[in-house]
Amino acid sequence: MATPFHPGGGRATLTLAGVWRGARAMLPVLIPVFVFGAAFGIAARGAGLEGWAASLMSALVFAGASQFAALDLWHSPVPWVPLLLATFAINARHLLLGASLRMLTHGLSAWKRYAAMIVLSDLNWAALIAAEARGERDLGYMVGGGLAMWVVWLAATVIGAEAGDVTLADLQRYGLDLVLVVFFTTTLVGLYRKRIDDLPWLVAGLAALAAVWWLPTNWHVLVGGLAGGLAGLVQHGRRT
Amino acid sequence: MNTSDTLLVILAMAVITYATRAGGLWVVGFMPMSPRLEAFLRYLAGSVLVALVVPATVRGEGAAFVAVGATLVSVVLLRRALLAMAIGVLAAALYRRYTGM
Repeated sequence: MATPFHPGGGRATLTLAGVWRGARAMLPVLIPVFVFGAAFGIAARGAGLEGWAASLMSALVFAGASQFAALDLWHSPVPWVPLLLATFAINARHLLLGASLRMLTHGLSAWKRYAAMIVLSDLNWAALIAAEARGERDLGYMVGGGLAMWVVWLAATVIGAEAGDVTLADLQRYGLDLVLVVFFTTTLVGLYRKRIDDLPWLVAGLAALAAVWWLPTNWHVLVGGLAGGLAGLVQHGRRT
Repeated sequence: MNTSDTLLVILAMAVITYATRAGGLWVVGFMPMSPRLEAFLRYLAGSVLVALVVPATVRGEGAAFVAVGATLVSVVLLRRALLAMAIGVLAAALYRRYTGM
């Protein structure tokens, strides 16, 4: 479970082979992505969006939690400030995901780097981070996973919006609503480095819980991630 | 909501969301690479995952504890991520079935 460290930073790549590897690695989590996409399509119709609008949103925004939140605010006149603030708050965690990819974009041209970020999402990011611990150095791994998710997310939205009868209860019956959290759990175990990760991760977990209890919804990933990162930095400073 | 408002809202959401996706990488690009920054980013990755898993488990109650617990034990013992995920999900489904929750 040791994580290879890249002192000085080897160059990252972005290749088709990497895209393919990443897409295949994403297969097991495409089922819940599909189901949530279909659920979004159904919920969107329920909130008064037309099918094309729900599908366009899935294609261009491609961020489930913020899309569901937008449905709650889908009124006329448009509540611009709450709607756009909610979109930012829910997606602000992407800032940390992107920052953590610094080493895996090293040496790539700006357009490749920023084009890859179009499909940055929790799941394909976690898959890449897990693969990196096994020596993966290809940003395409994240892109391939993201493209696979995008296709499934969009197709599921179209299907859900046009003719759907999947509900959250169906998902829960088979435990499928928990696939994402167990996926993150296995990733976490693969990343774990004995002793050095203990304190930062404890801080991250406590800060995230505190944020859930005391802050408005959806800030916990940002707060927990930053708190753990800073705790790690302090610990690193003491060791060297 | 009329068509032009709908299009505007979706475009605005898309722009904001992309800004969050590209912004982190952009900001960190201004910092000179150093062992300290590298260490911070590595702790950041693990901490983000912890911050995703812990609240989801605590808020998800019984079934989420069962799923995460079974997955943790399985992945440590068996070292097979996919199998561990399947065991976790199955354990949660069975827990719900027999507790009716």
